[in-house]
Amino acid sequence: MALTITDECINCDVCEPECPNNAISQGDEIYVIDPAKCTECVGHYDESQCVAVCPVDCIVVDPNNTETPEQLNEKFLRLTATPA
Amino acid sequence: MSNLSTASLLTKKDFESNQDVRWCPGCGDYAVLAQIQKLMPQLGIPRENFAFISGIGCSSRFPYYMETYGMHGIHGRAPAIASGLKLARPELSVWVVTGDGDALAIGGNHFIHAMRRNVDLKIILLNNRIYGLTKGQYSPTSELGMKTKTTPLGNIDRPFSPTAVALGAGATFVARTVDSDQAHMAGVLKRAAEHKGAAFVEIFQNCIVFNDGAYDAITDKSVRDDARLLLEHGKPLVFGKNKDKGIRLRGLEPVVVEIGEHAASEADLVMHDESAEHSGLAFFLSQFDAPKFPVPLGVFRAVGQPTYEEMNTQLHADAEARKGRGTLAALFNSGDTWTIK
Repeated sequence: MALTITDECINCDVCEPECPNNAISQGDEIYVIDPAKCTECVGHYDESQCVAVCPVDCIVVDPNNTETPEQLNEKFLRLTATPA
Repeated sequence: MSNLSTASLLTKKDFESNQDVRWCPGCGDYAVLAQIQKLMPQLGIPRENFAFISGIGCSSRFPYYMETYGMHGIHGRAPAIASGLKLARPELSVWVVTGDGDALAIGGNHFIHAMRRNVDLKIILLNNRIYGLTKGQYSPTSELGMKTKTTPLGNIDRPFSPTAVALGAGATFVARTVDSDQAHMAGVLKRAAEHKGAAFVEIFQNCIVFNDGAYDAITDKSVRDDARLLLEHGKPLVFGKNKDKGIRLRGLEPVVVEIGEHAASEADLVMHDESAEHSGLAFFLSQFDAPKFPVPLGVFRAVGQPTYEEMNTQLHADAEARKGRGTLAALFNSGDTWTIK
């Protein structure tokens, strides 16, 4: 269940520094989330940090990227694994 | 800016400077910056013909972030600096970005005279109802009773309505929008940019640190339809989630009425006319405030009047046609002069 930012984003920059996975960046029009890096904060926090801070509530679960908590945890382990 | 730009080839990126944007994360100012950078290439004006002028405050950091010419001026004096620039270089598109403190407290004087003279400036006022840069003192738009660092027992200063001030000073274009509604802001800013004359836009802007939630009542999706009135030229003043409320006049007193079978019909409601010569309608809209009235957003007034720089140019041309070009030495030695013996 990677998250996505809708076109209601006001480009306020509040979410980007909160992301523990560095999955958020400024896109052409609005901020964007890289689904390959978003674990919905699984492994880091109990709640999605970007959703908690967004002043306009424009960050939602991406219907095209649904993942189970287990899959998200696997992604977290993969992202944080130290290279052999 | 090394090369002259071709207006038609510009994009939003061309208006983004290389400076790190230093507003607090979550600040509404980012939204305004993004919309203005997006608007610039749509105006068909070469980049080197834009100038952004500011005074002091969080909003006044704006010129740093625009890849255009600009001046970060002195506190409250941006309209004066911008007026001078526009008179000297009428071909420029001159924008003022200011705040509720900069424009209405220390700069109140300059602000009203820029409106009165109808200098062709675009004045964008980011209203967060607080002094953010100096960390949370009350401003001329802070509500009655508001507790701030300098009003710990509650504010007893009655707030200004910036739109009412602008209209009172004779503004020819007055509009209001809100930072969290990007589409609405884009539309209003475009209208302001296209207006010939002083164009004033008040933007309700959330200060996430010192006055967070100031505009929740009109931005929260669950309640905003009943709390805001979207102005449309030539349409009746209707609002509400089900478009079932409207504004009617009883004598000179506006009242909120229900629309329906047993209540008022749309024909009874006030029609919005932004081009009305008389500013009465715009003025009473500028007085609307929650909770008694919905808060109007959109263009209150847009009328054509000769601009100050047009009249100034004409004045000079007429004088030159009548008397010739003249010299400074001749001017000094002419008229009411005498010799002391």
